[in-house]
Amino acid sequence: MTELLDPTTEALSQPIAWAARPRSLEGKRVALIENTKYNSDRLLQKIGDLLVNEYGVASTRLFHKRNASVPAHEEIIEEVRKTCDVMVAGVGD
Amino acid sequence: MSTTLTSKRYQVEGGLDDAVEFCFRQGWTDGLPVVPPTAPKVQAMLDAAGLDSKHQVSYVEHRAVSITAEKIAINAVMAGCLPEYMPVVVAAVEAIGDPRWSYHGPGTSTGGAAVLMIVNGPIRRELDIHAGDNLFGPGWRANLTIGRAVRLVMRNVCGSRPGLLDRGTLGHPGKLSFVIGENEEDSPWTPLHVERGFRPEQSTVTIVAAESPHQFYNQLSNTAEGVLTTLADSMRISGNVMGQPTYVLVLAGEHTRTIAQSGWTKKEIRQFVWEHTQNSHAHLKRTNRMSGAILPGDDGKMRPLAETPDDILVVAAGGRAGAFSAFIPGWGSRRSSQAVTVAIKGAKEVK
Repeated sequence: MTELLDPTTEALSQPIAWAARPRSLEGKRVALIENTKYNSDRLLQKIGDLLVNEYGVASTRLFHKRNASVPAHEEIIEEVRKTCDVMVAGVGD
Repeated sequence: MSTTLTSKRYQVEGGLDDAVEFCFRQGWTDGLPVVPPTAPKVQAMLDAAGLDSKHQVSYVEHRAVSITAEKIAINAVMAGCLPEYMPVVVAAVEAIGDPRWSYHGPGTSTGGAAVLMIVNGPIRRELDIHAGDNLFGPGWRANLTIGRAVRLVMRNVCGSRPGLLDRGTLGHPGKLSFVIGENEEDSPWTPLHVERGFRPEQSTVTIVAAESPHQFYNQLSNTAEGVLTTLADSMRISGNVMGQPTYVLVLAGEHTRTIAQSGWTKKEIRQFVWEHTQNSHAHLKRTNRMSGAILPGDDGKMRPLAETPDDILVVAAGGRAGAFSAFIPGWGSRRSSQAVTVAIKGAKEVK
């Protein structure tokens, strides 16, 4: 018989407050968060155009992360909070 | 130091072989057999570093993971470390949690980075961390087990499992272990850690998110400019050319002596290599590395391989014989991950 210690650990649990989901995108202001990879801005802008043309979105605004490896910085989050209702984030590669 | 080990315990029937196979079945290993982590071995590891089991060594914000001394000790035992290696493993784990290294990118990216660790200072000799022949190859317990321990921590504590949260397209063998020492005794230059703000008598580990080593050879030149011209030509198109990552130059015995005979310092080496590894925008566009059509003037418009000469780290290491040296491209870009140097706590300072 050998007694072994577990080398693994779990991520710390943390509370997440989900934003309320909109019932419709009609008239909403959409933030597009691009991660600086090639073409991610073009892909997101296409999605934004679709949302405007087919779902009645009022406007789209593109935001740029500092680089693909880090979460969106505080200034972006703050600006989105103030000026947009919905956001789309995506990876382009 | 007496501490309480709080990790979950498993009772495994049978002998050593059964314990080793149990570790495989649990998904705890890197593909090689591990030393079964029993409480006395784990405690010895903690004692050697003078750490309480609950002590948080590092917090990886991107993963919301707290890395405690106990978890590091368990993984270090599994990697085959001697207890006296523990302070080096702890320092490296402290470094991977540093926001400048930025764990999420190098830990996850399709780019497949390893954690290159360069050990400087007196602890290198005390622990026999190798800095000579077969520098990156097999043969030295400290080099192979210290790096392995850090990778096991990334796997078992941070969740960086290949195919899941470690998405390297190719990866490379350095992801098993990638530890070298700087050969300070034979080096004509200022050691890496002193260049980075530490005292010579301090022991440090410098970590770099890195690709595999790329070897080049030049057995014709007897000047610094000759050797480094060959290096620059091999290096000019390498790594993430457009990303401008950190680079590490590992200069081995013969080249080191040739360059030193020309009277060049590390600063001059960096400057020369930085100036001679730039690519024209026209070439980058022609070879599909830079987007867009070639414009008038693009032939003379140059883009450096790294942002600044200081993004090129120079290390003296490798065998005395052989006209070979290596460059190691860093992962991604300097903006997404930077080299971090951490003092090894508890290491003796020898003047």
